[in-house]
Amino acid sequence: MSVTFERRLTRDWDDPGVIAIDGYRAKGGYEALKNALTKEPAAIIDTVKASGLRGRGGAGFPAGVKWSFVPTTTGKPTYVVVNFDESEPGTCNNRELVDRDPHRLLEGTAIAALAIGCRTAFIYVRGEYLAQSLVLGTAIGEAYEAGFLGTGIAGSDVDLDIVLHRGAGAYICGEETALLNSLEGFRGQPRLRPPFPAVEGLYASPTVINNVETLMSVPDIVLRGPEWFRELGTEKSPGTKLFTISGKVERPGNYELPLGTPLRVLLEDVAGGVLGGRSLKAWTPGGSSTPLLTADHIDTPLDYESVAAAGSLLGTGAVMVLDDTDCVVDAAQRMTRFYANESCGKCTPCREGTWWAERVLGRIAEGYGHPEDLPVMRDMGKHIMFRAFCALADGAAAVIDSSLKHFSEEFEEHVQLGRCPLQVEHEEVAV
Amino acid sequence: MTLAIDGKEVTVPAGTLIIRAAEQLGIEIPRFCDHPLLRPAGACRQCYVRIEGQPKLATSCTVPVAAGMSVQTQASDDEVADAQRANLEFLLLNHPLDCPICDRGGECPLQDQALAYGPGDSRFREAKRVFKKPIPLSPLVALDRERCVLCARCTRFCDEISGDRFLELYARGAGERVAIAAGEDFRSPFSGNTVQICPVGALTSVPYRFAARPFDLTYGDSVCPHCSAGCNLRVDLRRGDVVRHLARDEYEVNDAWLCDKGRYAFRFPDSSERVTTPLIRDHGLEPASFGEVLTSIAGWVDRGRVGVLTGGRLMDEDYYALSKLARTVFRTNDLDHRRDHGAGFVEGAIAGGGMPVTYRNVEEAKVILVAGLDAEQEVPILHLRLRKAAERGARIVVLHPRRTRLWDVAEHIPCRPGDEAWLLEKEEGRHRPEIESVATAMREAGDAGIVIAGPRLADHPQAVDRARTFASDAGGRFAYVTRRANDRGALVAGVHPWLLPNGRSSIDEDRAEVESVWGPLDIPDRGRDWRGILEAAANREIDVLFLIGVDPLRDYPDAALARRALENVPRKVVQSLELASLARYADAFLPAAAFLEKEGHVTTWEGRGQRLQRVRDPLGMSRPDWEIFASLALACGGDLGFETLDELHEEMGTLLAPRATRHLAVADTGAAPTPVEDGELLLFTYPLLVNDGRLSEGADELKAALADPPFVEIHPNNAGTAGVADGSDVRVTTAAGEATLPARVTEHVSEGSLFVPFDQAGFAANTLLQGRFSIAATIDPVDAPADEDPVEVGAGGAA
Ligand SMILES: Cc1cc2nc3c(=O)[nH]c(=O)nc-3n(C[C@H](O)[C@H](O)[C@H](O)COP(=O)(O)O)c2cc1C
Ligand code: SF4
Ligand code: SF4
Ligand code: FES
Repeated sequence: MSVTFERRLTRDWDDPGVIAIDGYRAKGGYEALKNALTKEPAAIIDTVKASGLRGRGGAGFPAGVKWSFVPTTTGKPTYVVVNFDESEPGTCNNRELVDRDPHRLLEGTAIAALAIGCRTAFIYVRGEYLAQSLVLGTAIGEAYEAGFLGTGIAGSDVDLDIVLHRGAGAYICGEETALLNSLEGFRGQPRLRPPFPAVEGLYASPTVINNVETLMSVPDIVLRGPEWFRELGTEKSPGTKLFTISGKVERPGNYELPLGTPLRVLLEDVAGGVLGGRSLKAWTPGGSSTPLLTADHIDTPLDYESVAAAGSLLGTGAVMVLDDTDCVVDAAQRMTRFYANESCGKCTPCREGTWWAERVLGRIAEGYGHPEDLPVMRDMGKHIMFRAFCALADGAAAVIDSSLKHFSEEFEEHVQLGRCPLQVEHEEVAV
Repeated sequence: MTLAIDGKEVTVPAGTLIIRAAEQLGIEIPRFCDHPLLRPAGACRQCYVRIEGQPKLATSCTVPVAAGMSVQTQASDDEVADAQRANLEFLLLNHPLDCPICDRGGECPLQDQALAYGPGDSRFREAKRVFKKPIPLSPLVALDRERCVLCARCTRFCDEISGDRFLELYARGAGERVAIAAGEDFRSPFSGNTVQICPVGALTSVPYRFAARPFDLTYGDSVCPHCSAGCNLRVDLRRGDVVRHLARDEYEVNDAWLCDKGRYAFRFPDSSERVTTPLIRDHGLEPASFGEVLTSIAGWVDRGRVGVLTGGRLMDEDYYALSKLARTVFRTNDLDHRRDHGAGFVEGAIAGGGMPVTYRNVEEAKVILVAGLDAEQEVPILHLRLRKAAERGARIVVLHPRRTRLWDVAEHIPCRPGDEAWLLEKEEGRHRPEIESVATAMREAGDAGIVIAGPRLADHPQAVDRARTFASDAGGRFAYVTRRANDRGALVAGVHPWLLPNGRSSIDEDRAEVESVWGPLDIPDRGRDWRGILEAAANREIDVLFLIGVDPLRDYPDAALARRALENVPRKVVQSLELASLARYADAFLPAAAFLEKEGHVTTWEGRGQRLQRVRDPLGMSRPDWEIFASLALACGGDLGFETLDELHEEMGTLLAPRATRHLAVADTGAAPTPVEDGELLLFTYPLLVNDGRLSEGADELKAALADPPFVEIHPNNAGTAGVADGSDVRVTTAAGEATLPARVTEHVSEGSLFVPFDQAGFAANTLLQGRFSIAATIDPVDAPADEDPVEVGAGGAA
C-alpha cells in the first residue's frame, strides 16, 4: 500500500526560499493573517473548532475548543504561548518545521493571538535549539520589518509583539504549566491545575499554549476552510500530521501523512522498512512516553483513537523502532534513565520511582537481577502511573508497564541466565 | 457544602480542601507537604484518597470539596491504603533511617506515618543517594539533605510567609535538594519556623542539635516574653533547663510561627548572671532572707519619698499588684513603665479600650497605614500578619523614617523622625499631599481600614493622638502598638503617673471607683513620669527608687541622667532576674521569678490577655513579682488584700472589667515639623530585633546569625555634603556625647536623618540622647587607621 496526497505542512520544504519572508509571501504567506484580520475573533475560533484540529503536542486536545475557554472579560491581558520545547525522545518534527518554514509559525501564532485578543505572544524554544532560535529570530525581525508584527499589523489597528524565549534544557519545561513557570523566571516545575492556563496562565492571565505544529496548521485552515482540512485524516483525527520515525529503519526522518495511516505504510513504504531487512520487535507510536507496541500492532492506523485502542497513545507521532537484535531491558533502562534525569523532582513517585526503576533495570540488564525484581518493577509501574503530579511520570510508567507487559519472558531470561539472552552489551552511561 | 468521607457526613464552607474537611471529622490522612498556612503543593503525594466517580486517586490536600462528594480514605479503600504504603516506600528509599541519632526521632511525622501507614519492610537493594552533611545554612539552622523528603514546606514558607526567599530547591530528579545561594546565610529573622515545619529531621536548630530526646523533655504552655506580639509557645525543659521554644498553633495570634528571637533567645532564665537570693547592702551586697530584706526596705519606705520605675515585661498580675502597692502603700503616683510620651492624651482611652484591632482585623483589612513602627524588627509576628494582609490584597502604607522589611509589599512614605504628627494632621481641612491618597483609601475602606501607630510616634507628645484622629476621621480602626511583651498590661494596670487601673484618671468618679476597691487614696492627681522620676532622683527629691525589671543605665535614652539619678538617690531597690550593671548601685535586691516560673497573664499589643503556665518552679529563692509586692506591702504595714492568685484575679476582675470609656478632652496644640538648625541632622534610634538586650543573654547562635555590628545610616545626600563615604568611619556628635561608627550610606533612611540602633553590642546609643529617642546631631568623617577597633564609645558612655 502506498499513500498519495497533497502535502500540506511540508509542501514548501523543497523550496529554501520560503525561509525568507519574501519567498514565503511569494507562496501566499501572510494571506491567512490578512484574511483573519477581517474576521471577528469568534469566527476564527469557530473555523478552527470546525476543522477538528487537535493539539499536536501529545494530548490531542482540540485547539479551537481550547481557544474558546479563554475568558475575554477579565480585564487582564491574554497571551499566546508557543510550546517549542520539543524534548520528547524520538521527536524532532517541530524542529524541521521551523528550520524550513519559520514564517508559517509566526503567521499561525498571530492568528491565534487575534482569536483571543492577545497583544504579546511568546515562543518558548527548547534550550538546545540554538539554530532554530536564530532562524526564528531572523524571521521575527523580517516580520516586524514587513509590518506583520509590531503596531498596526498588516495595516490594521491591531498590535502584536512576539517574544522569543530560550529555555535552559529541561524536558519538564515542555509541560505547559512548568513552561509558564520557566517563562516567568521561576523554577521549571508544574503548577496545580485548576486553575487551567486558559483561565490563569502566564502572569496569572488567560493563556493559550499550543504546540508548533498545531499553530502551523492554522493558516491553511483559515484560508481554505475546515472542510478542506477534513478531506484528509479520519473523522475524529482530521488532517495530516508529521511523524518522526527513527531507530532501526532504513530512512529515518520526518514524514507528513494523513492521520489514520497505518504504521505498516509509514515503516515499510515511507521509511523503507526495518534496517537491514530485519524484523520489527517493538515500537513507540508517539515518543518514549507512549506505551510500547509490538509487531502484532503493525497494522494499527496512526490516529488518536486507533492507537489508544491498541493500548498506547499517538503522543507526538514519534515512532521509534526496535528490531529483533535489540534488548528490551536495555531499551527500557535507557528510556527510564531519561525520566530519572528529567523528573523535575517535585513529587515523590516520579522522583524516587524513576530513580529506583532505572537502577533495578540496569541491574537486570547487567545480569544481576533477582527473581523478586520483576514483581517489584510491576509494582513500581502501578504506583507511578496516574499517581504523580504531572504526566511526565505517566510516560515513565508507560515504559516500565509496557515493556513488562509485552516482554516479560525476556526480563525473566535475564534474571535466570544472569546475562542478556541477546548478548546485547549493556553500556553504563554516566548520569 | 455537605460531603461524605468514609461514609461520615460533614458540612464545610465551599473551597475547603478535602484534607481539612477530614480533619473536622477527626479522620486522619497522612501528609508531608500539606500545611494549613501554605498554599497547596501536591508534592509529596502521601495524602491520596479516592473520590467516587473519578478514575484516578486524588491528593486530598489539593482538591476542594464539592457538594455530594463521596470520599474514601485509607481506612475504607484498599487501593488508597496500598498507594500510601507504596508512596512511603518511595520516600524511604533514599532516607538514611538514622532516627536514633536524629533530633526529630520520637516526634517525627515521617517516623510516625511510616509506622502507621508504611510497609513493614523495604524491597530496596540499591545504594542510597548520599549528600555532604550537615550543611550550615546559618549559625542557627543546619540542613541534612539525606533526610529531606523534598516537601517544599521550607521553601514555601520563605516564599509565601516571610518573603525572605533564601531557600530554594535546586537541581531535579533524585538530585533535587534544598539549597541556598552560594555565599549566602539564611539571614531571615523567621528562619526557625522552617525547622519546626520540616516534617523530618532535615532542618535542625543548631542550639537544639543533639541537646535532648523528646522523651527526656518536660514542657509547658507559655507566651513569648520578647515582644508584644504575644506568640504562643511551648517551653521545653531538659532536667529543668530550657532547651527549646516551639511555636504553638494559635490562629488568632501567631498562626503557627515564632520569630527567631522568640525561638532562640531562651537561655536568659538559666543565665549565669541570674541572681536567685535576696541581697542587702552591708559592706558589699550580701545574701539575706526575704524577711530581712523586706524589713529593711520597709524602713526606708516608711521615712521616705518613693519612685517606681519599671519596664514592660512583667505579668498583668504583677503590674496590678505593683500599681496598688505604689498607691496604697507608697502613697505615690510616681510610677511609670513608659520611657517616652506613650500615647499621650489618648492613653486612658487605649488602656480601657479593649481590643479595637486584632490580628484577624489586620489580616482581613483592605487598607493599613503603619506609622512609626518597624514591624519586622519590633513586633515580628505582626509583620507577618501585615504581609499576609498584603498577600490577600490589602494596600499597606508605611510612614517611617527608615525603610522597613515591608518594602516589597507596601508603599513607603519616608519622613523625618518626628514629622509624622505634622504629616498626619489636616491643613485647612485638607490632608497633606503625601498622605492624601491613603486618607481617601481609608475612607473608602471604612472599618476595613486600620491605622497602626508604633513607638516612633510615642517619642512626640501628640503624634499618637494625630494618628488616632486620622483613623477616626476616616471611620477606620486604630491600634497603638508598643514593643515590649507587656507594655499594654502595665498600662491597663495603671503603672502610670496619671492613670489608675483600666485607664481611669486620678480624679473625680474615676478615682472614686478605684477607692471603692482599694480604699481611700492619699495621692496627688498626677505623679512624675520616667524622666520626672529620674530627675527627681538626681535632684535628691526621691529617697527610695524601685527598679522593677529595668536598668535605666541601659534602657533610658539619657545615660547621663540615669547615672546621676542612681548616684544621687539614697536607696535603690532592684527587683529583677539579675543585677548586671546595677550591682554597683543596688542597696537591696529581690530575686524575681522568670516568665516560665510563674503563672499569670500577659496582654498583646491588641489588648488580648493570654495565660502562661508555670512551666517550672522558680529558681532558688526567686518568687513571682506580685508575691514579692504583696509581702513588701505587709512588711510596710499595709495589705494588698490578696495572698493567692485566685484572690488577686477576683480583685482584678472588679477593677479591670470592661467599661465604657469616658470621653477625654484633647488639647489641640497643633503639630509642626521638628525644627533643626542649619547643618544638623536628626538622629533617631530604636532597638533592632537582635540586640544586646538582657533577654538575649546566652543566645549566641541567634546573635551570630542575625545581630548587626553597630552602624549609622546616612542618606547619600547628607553623606555627600559631609564628605562621608559608605563603610568609612564617621563621628556622630550630639549635645549629649559623641561616638564613632561605621557609616552605611543608604537611600533607605530619609534625607536629613541618621539612624543608629539602640542597645547594640559595643555601642550604647543612649549616650547620645537626652531623654528622647531622637536628637539633633552632626556628622564628620574620621580617618581611622585601619587596624583600630571600628567602634569607640564617646564621652558620657554608660557601663
Ligand atoms: C512532561 C511533558 C512534556 C511535554 N513536552 C511538550 C513539548 O515539548 N512540546 C509540546 O508541544 N507539548 C509538550 N507537552 C504537552 C503540553 O503540556 C501541552 O499539552 C501542549 O503544549 C499543548 O499544545 P497542543 O494542544 O497544541 O498540543 C508536554 C507534556 C508533558 C507532560
Ligand atoms: S511527575 Fe512529579 S516529579 Fe515528575 S515531572 Fe511531574 S511534577 Fe515533577
Ligand atoms: S528540608 Fe524539610 S521542609 Fe524543606 S523540603 Fe526538605 S523535608 Fe521539606
Ligand atoms: S500532603 Fe497532599 S500531596 Fe503532600
